[in-house]
Amino acid sequence: MSANRPLQRLAARHATSVILSLALLATVLLLTGLASPLVVRVGIGTLISVVLVVGLFIFVGNSGILSFGHLGFATVSAYATAWLTMRPAMKKMLLPGLPEFILSAQWPSFLATLASGLLAGLVALASGVFIMRLSGVAASIATLALLAIVNTVYANSDAVTGGVGSLAGIPTGLGIWTVLGWAVFAIVVAHIHATSAAGLALKSCREDPIAAEACGIRGFRVRLLAYVLSGFVCGIAGNLQARYLGVISPDSFYFGATLLALAMLIVGGMFSLTGAVAGVVAISVAMEVLIRLEGSIELFGFTVSIPAGTANFLIAAAMCVALVKRPQGLVGDREITLPASLLGKLDRHASNSKNNVGTTTVENTL
Amino acid sequence: MKGKIFLRRLATACAGAGIASAAVAPAFAEEMKVGFAIAQSGWMEAYDKGATQAALLAIEEINAKGGLLGQTLKPVIEDTRTDLARAAQAGQTLLADGVGVMIVSCDYDMGSPVALAAESAGIISIFLCAADIKAGVQGIGPHSYSASSVANAEGATMAEWSYTKRKARTGYVLVDTTIQYDRSLCAGFDWMFPQFDGAKVVGEDTFKNGDTSIASQITRIKALPAQPDVIMLCSYIPGAASVARQLRAAGITSPILNGTAMDGDYWLDSAPGLKDFVGLAKGSFRGDDPRPDVNAFAERYKAKYGALPVNQSVFDGYVAIQLWAKAVEKAGSFDSEAVVKVLDSFKDEPSLLGPRTFTPDVHIQTQIPFLVTDIVDGKSKVIDQFTISKNIPLDVLLAK
Amino acid sequence: MMLNLAQNLIDALSLGSIYALTALGIGMIFSVMRLVNFAQGNYIAFCAFALLVPAGEGISRPFIGLLPGWALVPVVIALGMLLAMASEILLFRHLRGAQPATMMIASFGLGSALQNLLLMLFGSRPIAINLWPALTQPVMIGSLMVPRLQLVILAVTALALVALTLFLRRTRFGTAMRASSENFLMARMLGVPADRVILVAFGISGALAATASLLTLPQTGIADIRMGDGILLVAFVATVVGGLGSLTGAVLSAYLIGLVSVFLQIALPLAARPYRDAFVYAAVIAVLMLKPDGLFSADRRSQRI
Repeated sequence: MSANRPLQRLAARHATSVILSLALLATVLLLTGLASPLVVRVGIGTLISVVLVVGLFIFVGNSGILSFGHLGFATVSAYATAWLTMRPAMKKMLLPGLPEFILSAQWPSFLATLASGLLAGLVALASGVFIMRLSGVAASIATLALLAIVNTVYANSDAVTGGVGSLAGIPTGLGIWTVLGWAVFAIVVAHIHATSAAGLALKSCREDPIAAEACGIRGFRVRLLAYVLSGFVCGIAGNLQARYLGVISPDSFYFGATLLALAMLIVGGMFSLTGAVAGVVAISVAMEVLIRLEGSIELFGFTVSIPAGTANFLIAAAMCVALVKRPQGLVGDREITLPASLLGKLDRHASNSKNNVGTTTVENTL
Repeated sequence: MKGKIFLRRLATACAGAGIASAAVAPAFAEEMKVGFAIAQSGWMEAYDKGATQAALLAIEEINAKGGLLGQTLKPVIEDTRTDLARAAQAGQTLLADGVGVMIVSCDYDMGSPVALAAESAGIISIFLCAADIKAGVQGIGPHSYSASSVANAEGATMAEWSYTKRKARTGYVLVDTTIQYDRSLCAGFDWMFPQFDGAKVVGEDTFKNGDTSIASQITRIKALPAQPDVIMLCSYIPGAASVARQLRAAGITSPILNGTAMDGDYWLDSAPGLKDFVGLAKGSFRGDDPRPDVNAFAERYKAKYGALPVNQSVFDGYVAIQLWAKAVEKAGSFDSEAVVKVLDSFKDEPSLLGPRTFTPDVHIQTQIPFLVTDIVDGKSKVIDQFTISKNIPLDVLLAK
Repeated sequence: MMLNLAQNLIDALSLGSIYALTALGIGMIFSVMRLVNFAQGNYIAFCAFALLVPAGEGISRPFIGLLPGWALVPVVIALGMLLAMASEILLFRHLRGAQPATMMIASFGLGSALQNLLLMLFGSRPIAINLWPALTQPVMIGSLMVPRLQLVILAVTALALVALTLFLRRTRFGTAMRASSENFLMARMLGVPADRVILVAFGISGALAATASLLTLPQTGIADIRMGDGILLVAFVATVVGGLGSLTGAVLSAYLIGLVSVFLQIALPLAARPYRDAFVYAAVIAVLMLKPDGLFSADRRSQRI
């Protein structure tokens, strides 16, 4: 094929992740250049959601199995972050049950991020060995059960987690460039995985499990790989969240946060990396705008107060409308990529199979 | 919703009062901004609203007397929406606005992002009514205080009161594990009760606030050889009301002890005919407080906001501003370090609710007088006033 | 000891009944349209608040709640049915053919909208409702003292199950519904009116939510906007553990989860008791590993949410 044009091939293959990363970079440049520090803070929060939802996409998007368990990995990682980075004096007081070598540890933030991400990946591996033997709805419920288990364990192990209440004192000062770096990392990892042999095999299991098995694809293995990888990336998101707020609690990573992350993915387009990013941006921006509207507004000289809950009501309603209007998500199952003309003489077929993986039509029971 | 207009109007009113007093004050008089990062929406709003209103009342009263050190206090309010990320943002907004002191949410969980931000800016933060030892030096830093008392103190008060005044010798502990407050509340009871001669905790059980039924917990109580003299129920609305209803429905008549979380009458419809439900209060706003000052405060509050306070956090909100203002006056400066020094030296400093003590290690009350209340004819009534005989040590408060 | 055992059994059954009614509501809709309806829990809260006049924070008072039982029950059930049917007509009907995941997230959106609507109307503070206080009085059965309410819960649930079974087995519509849940596409081709079958399924699930609400309220005495959330999670799990598409399975697993919860509450030592739910969910994973299609699954088609 076009082996003599490696650059073009490379461009075609990585177009999606490069374009998405550049778009985020441009936004961040715009924010840091023009916006107030407060808006930049909102930007940091949104980028952390990008890491989380892209992490979720690595498993959910490619396997077609809804996972409720990934915020559990974020929990594991966020608490690991606290263990590794809090001041030892504070840990001795608040988390006396930790072993001595952790009590005295105070790791640099980058190492702590990697380590807590890896711990999340490890928990994903340990649980995935069981749960990934399941498929379909049974797997979904098993991940939900996993989330409940993680939440219950962390909320009640007071000596090492501080219990059900908040644990404060995690060093903050997370800059937007660091978060952008991790968001780009997540996108690149997700894209490389989706276009790798394992990612394609997983998609084939999603489309037709029986045919895939017949072609020699081992569903369990490719599912487990995606699950662990996405557990790791969601773990990174948990670490960033902890460093962003400086405060964590088991319930801030529970069912509500899980459904919000899933909603972002599905509103954007469940089977598309571009969709994952678009969904985060769309929902975050909508929430920001609507929340600013709440409070009281001036109408013809009268102050009309809007009752609490209105913004959240409108966000939920807007989400329903968006789903009705675009049941496949905002971008459907497509990926953003370079136009064919730009890719020159590159073999169309190769580009399609690498970037687009055909049109996804999941068989529907209706 | 109404509260929102209210706060805004009040803020304008305060600003107005500020201008008026500025006219008579020396020419250099300025404003000192008091930041409020509190929940005006979400479930936390129910707790923050009254406390904030009381704090605003305190500010208004200070301004009416010519302000603090010649400066007018100007409240600036940001909504945390009962959300950690939003709370952190609210805190940043207020710090950027140049507030001189930061008043934060009632709850340690919701208030901590704001308090931490204030701490790293070297600004004093005061939790309106957090009952956790962590809301202070231990969980935030040396510039952070809580206007309230530790939950453990309430549990300990119930233990000593029921032992001395009700001759309780056997206690049963029923703890709602959903929030930290209730765990600490029961921990206080567990620490104090067995210290008395012949007193024993005969059983303990847990439940979650959202549990639809606590039938199996009840069955375990009924399996005891004798009904316990008292049941320490550490929980909050709605779970606590539901448990009280279920306990009485099952024919368990032991007095139920609780902390301050259930003060008020509004939930009594859910357990009609309830008797022997003993709770605690910092103060009473039903006119039966033994201290005239507190009754007068309740009247002023009612005159201002059109209704009596609905929960105990209101008193803490008033005391928060009162103590801070006293310390500023004594220090003769708004400088955080100077104010912290004075606050840490407060020993039995008089406040609306009685003596208040801080030390460099403990920025929350551990031994204060409580009113004891009971339900009489479907109404909550003050029946006693009680202070525990020993201070709860720091290591007990931090024990896991 | 025997007495305790009997009492514990009644506790477990009455807890399981509330789960079962909700699981049935979820299972009903799932079997005809592969939708996992997360709004079912919010239907329960909605029905509880329907008893009150919205008047804002802390001052909402009973309105429908003051009606005598014979009038109150049908009104609340009708409201529950209307709400569920309205959600089908206004939302889910427009998502026919969408991914099950999309429908599920839409139902989450609907539930969130409902919850915030209640927040706007009633404020965030739970409201005390003293519904049928006489039901909380205990009765003696031999030497066993049982709250009357537990018996009522058992009886009403049994009645609802029997009525539903008769409806599904003896009426034309019920047959159409069972056919649809076996194979929706085939049923549709054979002339089963799809939209009407789905609408009726929603009506029934709304009625079940109202029933669960009316049985929960006398027990707790409190209406809270989040009151359905905990029940929903358990019911959802029960529906899957029982085998999606099998209504009997959903009901039986709901009772099983109630039984396991109560058993753990009794058997676990105090230190481990706060971890109760972790044990319950670990058991759920174990069951799924052993029987991925559910304990009582009707068919072995693989499904995805």
